[in-house]
Amino acid sequence: MGVHPLFPNATDRETRGFFEAAAEGRLVYRACNTCDHALHPPTAHCPYCGGWDTDWRQAKGTGKLHSWTTVTHQIHPAFPAPYTVVVVELDEAPEVRLMGHMDGAPDLEPDMPMQVWFQTLPDGPTLPQWRPAT
Amino acid sequence: MLDDEMAFFGRDKCAVAGIGQTAFARDSARSVLSLATEASLAALADAGLTVDDVDGIVRCESDTVTPYTLGAALGVNNLSYWGDTGPGGVAPCMMMGLAIGAVLSGQAKTVLAFRSLNGRSEARLGGAGQRLGAETVGGFGTYDEYFLPYGLLTAGQTFALMTRRHMLEYGTTAEQLGAVAMACREHANLTPHAQMQSKPMSMDDYLSARMISTPLRLFDFCLESDGACAVVITSAERARDLRKPPVLISGVAGGAPPDRRVGMMFPVVTREDMTDLGGRRAGETLWKRAGIGPSEIDIAQLYDCFTISVILQLEAYGFCAKGEGGPFAASGAIRRGGSLPINTGGGHLSEGYVHGMNHIVQAVRQLRGEADMQIEGAETCLVTGGPLPVGSSVVFRKAA
Repeated sequence: MGVHPLFPNATDRETRGFFEAAAEGRLVYRACNTCDHALHPPTAHCPYCGGWDTDWRQAKGTGKLHSWTTVTHQIHPAFPAPYTVVVVELDEAPEVRLMGHMDGAPDLEPDMPMQVWFQTLPDGPTLPQWRPAT
Repeated sequence: MLDDEMAFFGRDKCAVAGIGQTAFARDSARSVLSLATEASLAALADAGLTVDDVDGIVRCESDTVTPYTLGAALGVNNLSYWGDTGPGGVAPCMMMGLAIGAVLSGQAKTVLAFRSLNGRSEARLGGAGQRLGAETVGGFGTYDEYFLPYGLLTAGQTFALMTRRHMLEYGTTAEQLGAVAMACREHANLTPHAQMQSKPMSMDDYLSARMISTPLRLFDFCLESDGACAVVITSAERARDLRKPPVLISGVAGGAPPDRRVGMMFPVVTREDMTDLGGRRAGETLWKRAGIGPSEIDIAQLYDCFTISVILQLEAYGFCAKGEGGPFAASGAIRRGGSLPINTGGGHLSEGYVHGMNHIVQAVRQLRGEADMQIEGAETCLVTGGPLPVGSSVVFRKAA
């Protein structure tokens, strides 16, 4: 019997739009329509201009690698070691950094271009994931 | 900005009058309530006070023991003030703030501050414990749904991502991290109650230990411990008449970094500069409140959940420039005999992990002159908490 993956709670009122878009194969981030500031992690209120006119924006789906760690000491059965967590900065909105999961210990370089892909968990939600751009 | 009328007026007005702790162990075989009770009774006895003197109790919000329950277990009859603070390891320094606020505003005369945990045998902070069995994670305002489903599960993995950035931007090395681990270990070797007292460690030992989450190795991680610590805070004036020499609370301050992000620990990696700690802002406020600067600090107890957190706090509190924490640590400055001995009982890395509270107990011991590895002439001590997502800090001073 397989180990159940960790599903994201996709019902949170501030963040569910991210997962709703992912289910449609789209990557989005929150931004303020008034001052144009990206808001991540997302909030309905913009702390930069004080406005409430914020919404999800379509991202290009490209970014660059900001940091990563290869986990060699396993602590959860859903994540067999080794695996690597990547932190990717969106090209058009560097204020937004998203996580990705990669199997094993891939060769990675700082600032390398990354490309989004979508992973649908078995009987579950969809996660935007990242891999080096080819 | 605070105007003069609103300026901090708590400098040296309150003191720690008593300290207490249990043994630090891998398995206490006792409840956290029993541990908290033992540490509290020890702190009261140390001060020459009894449970009848206690009218306030403050705690870390992560503690499963509440102030009311501890008061009931101790037999406190006059509990009229209590408070929670946090998050996590930020709490102990902020507890000093709650305590002096209560004392100076007349809400309490004698405040007990405590932290009690079975951090190894029951609730391992570094493990997946509470997430095992969960099928859905995050939501409810935690923002964890952006992180946990990717396998970013622990504080250690988060600090690993920060360490990578510090290495990329400033050239920080494994040997510099190792210098922090070794300093704490050497201090623990001279401290009988430290969990690593009998285990010396060489740089080879450090470097050859297994990798946990690159670039962090086993001894970059603090211990997981069972144990409790408690301290008694009262007015400086009253403390002078008690059993032990008072250790004054000169200043206390928390701080959040300029690039604020919602959520708890994980969103720190989304900050423009993830190695710029809230402690930098805490320090700016702290030095004004305490009326001294980093050059006047004799010793420091820096929150060492991981070796990198010491390096980042050496920078944040102004002991060296940003990016120079690694060379500063490797220079020997942080060891016994150096310009700024840190974690003088071994710290979380080698004494025990009581979530920041053992750092406060150690500061008081040093400034009383009753530490095991006593730093001669120490009159001022910085204690820090945190360090994610916010920082907290206290300056303690030996009473004149």
